[in-house]
Amino acid sequence: MTRERALILVALVAIFSAVAWTAWPREATAAERVDRITSELRCVTCQGLSVKDSPAASARQMHDLVVQRVAEGRSDDQIRDEFRASYGDWVLLSPPATSWSGLIWLVPLVALAAGLAVVFGRMRRATSTVTAPPARELAALRERVAREEALDLPQTDGAE
Amino acid sequence: MPRWLRYGIVFGIATLVVVLMLSFRRDPHDIRTGTVGKPAAAFTADRIEGAGTLSLSDYAGKVVVLNFFASWCPPCKEENPALVRVWERYRTSDVAFIGIVYQDSTDKAREYVRANGVTWPTVQDGDGRISFAYGVFGPPETYFIGPDGIIAGRHIGPIDEATLITAIDSLRPRATR
Repeated sequence: MTRERALILVALVAIFSAVAWTAWPREATAAERVDRITSELRCVTCQGLSVKDSPAASARQMHDLVVQRVAEGRSDDQIRDEFRASYGDWVLLSPPATSWSGLIWLVPLVALAAGLAVVFGRMRRATSTVTAPPARELAALRERVAREEALDLPQTDGAE
Repeated sequence: MPRWLRYGIVFGIATLVVVLMLSFRRDPHDIRTGTVGKPAAAFTADRIEGAGTLSLSDYAGKVVVLNFFASWCPPCKEENPALVRVWERYRTSDVAFIGIVYQDSTDKAREYVRANGVTWPTVQDGDGRISFAYGVFGPPETYFIGPDGIIAGRHIGPIDEATLITAIDSLRPRATR
């Protein structure tokens, strides 16, 4: 093995180790869990702000409640479900995929499928428009071209 | 455009229009999300007048009108005369009123209840836990709890006398008189 190959191998091992270390699941700290949960919860007195981002008093109280629930050892789902029980799925900034409101996630897929259908439909129509004309029409065209060529031939030759 | 896609677009627009029309027909004061139809969350909180605490469980078997209010909330002041009149009408019966102070200081809330003739028991929700448990968006909000402990209805915004009486009377036949 040459020296360059050994260096490349070492570099690849370092890169894969770093990626694996980063991606390896680890236990989130309490503060990280509070941050994650509060960034997913909607402030109930604000317009589209998360509890984490809102300075409103109600958002601060919700934040404090999340801190307390995390300290009590409740799971993220249990904490989210406590707010969902009172406010419904509305309180989650991203609707859960498992509920009816989760159907919203299908909208981009449906829109993409509809767009593709329109594009393919137009392409097929464009292809079908250049198909050969019917035999009778073709024969008439050929006859007309031959007639016109017979008439125009001397002039065309003269022009050239 | 393929025929199925044209039909799909027409169907989608029609569905959207129907959903919007149904939404417009709904009473914005009566949002039936979250806690309506479920057992009322138990709570124990400090009274703002006098010492001691109040627990919802003290009112088991009664119709309970839970009113979230704040002294800084003009619509709360607007609805207060209706609450006072209806309270006077039912105060000797099986109906209980409980005021819940929403994001307000105890001193200001006390001043408010004294100035506005609120004589039903009122408690402080200092950390917002009662409000969150009931799914309160902001004051005023009124909840009607049946004698079975289930939240039968919810009114968002200032409430009037007729709405209060209708809601209470619909629950009273089930109460222990």
